[in-house]
Amino acid sequence: MSDSSENTNAGANEQYDLLWKRPVIRIGVVTMLIAAVLSFGPLLYLYIVHGVSIDIRTALTAWGLIVAIFGAFYIVEPVSFYPILGLAGTYLSFLSGNISNLRLPCSAMAQEVVGTKEGTRQAEIVGTMGIVGSVVVNLIGVTAAAVIGAWLISVLPAVITDAFRNYTAPAIFGAVFGQFAMREIRFAPFALAIPLITLGLLGLPVWIVIPASVFGTVAIGRVFYKKGIVKPK
Amino acid sequence: MEDYLAIANEWGLWIAGGLMVAVALIQVLLYYRQLFVAAKTVDVTNEQLKQAFRTGAVTAIGPVLAIFVIMVGLMSVIGGPMAWMRLSVIGAAPTELTAAHVGADAAGVPFGGEGYDVQAMAVSWWTMAINGVGWLVLVGLFGHTLEKGREKLGGGDTAWLGVLSTAAMIGVFGYLNTTNILRLGGPLIAAITGGIAMVLLLQLAKKFPPIKEYTLGIAMIIGMVFAVLLG
Repeated sequence: MSDSSENTNAGANEQYDLLWKRPVIRIGVVTMLIAAVLSFGPLLYLYIVHGVSIDIRTALTAWGLIVAIFGAFYIVEPVSFYPILGLAGTYLSFLSGNISNLRLPCSAMAQEVVGTKEGTRQAEIVGTMGIVGSVVVNLIGVTAAAVIGAWLISVLPAVITDAFRNYTAPAIFGAVFGQFAMREIRFAPFALAIPLITLGLLGLPVWIVIPASVFGTVAIGRVFYKKGIVKPK
Repeated sequence: MEDYLAIANEWGLWIAGGLMVAVALIQVLLYYRQLFVAAKTVDVTNEQLKQAFRTGAVTAIGPVLAIFVIMVGLMSVIGGPMAWMRLSVIGAAPTELTAAHVGADAAGVPFGGEGYDVQAMAVSWWTMAINGVGWLVLVGLFGHTLEKGREKLGGGDTAWLGVLSTAAMIGVFGYLNTTNILRLGGPLIAAITGGIAMVLLLQLAKKFPPIKEYTLGIAMIIGMVFAVLLG
């Protein structure tokens, strides 16, 4: 149970802080905020080249409307995904997006293949590298789509493009659920029951359903762990 | 209609969008470099790092092909440069389309329809930008404070932290599957067959370890094929 490769002494902690946590935060803060500023680049282009500007009332109206839809997720998603993504994983995932269909599965698979123990620093490093690999492929993919996308879609049969459009995410979600349910099958019914009840039966908003599913299952895990029903692997 | 899309595809916008894509690329390169430095402090070898990178990349191929298909659709309504830029950062296609629609609503015209001119398009773009900025700024400013929350939740018990991670992951994917369970039909078939395939493939990978890196990609294709055949 005690893992010799897990460093817990003070010197190792200091090294980890100095060579990982601090640089990770520095890189994360700077890149996220630069990206926030650059988000408005196309609008600046419209203003300079075409003299298009938006009046402040329309801008505020649009902002209010979109925050009403997505505002809760700005907070709920980082908080809910943090225990899985870790520090660098969070910065990477919330800059590059596609968290559920790309970052989480790629982080999990990297850990699975290398064989790290969940919740350890090794797992965080290896999982982060899995995310890095996924971001590189992602950027290549969207850039290729920008260049040859329209042509390629026109020559592919519709059944293939429809299959990718409609079924990739469901198939991946099912597969990752299966992968983790294998590790601790007793959590699976709860993880399905909580969202099925809160979303399907009660129709609660998604920004309540996500944290309820994550932290509800974690709470069940805590009870099982305390009672010794679930043993760490 | 033709009018605003002509402007949306001007080459200057490829540059404006490219700057954003460049930041995502720079961030990932900086973390890539830092990972090799940090790995030494926790006894992760360079070979393991490369294996992790390769696994992440291989696993990403399937989902990225889906993004590829979706992006081409998005290009036809918001133009190439914006589709490229928006799908390189936070906010998947449905989120961006919602924002584009909301922007058109705020401008008082139907998205892509009668009266949707450059002015209205600018409001759509503003809405997509300000929405993405919500995540970027909050994570940028407060992301590091979440570590304290995790430490508190974990309480320094590494065995419990492992159980916690598993529980959190099953919890997230329980939720993600729920939408498809409630939709029934093809998505549900894809989820169930994808799940069963993954479990079997991981069992198989115990006997043939080389296939492990490809298990999720193969499971995804199996789920998709069953959904197409039976959905």
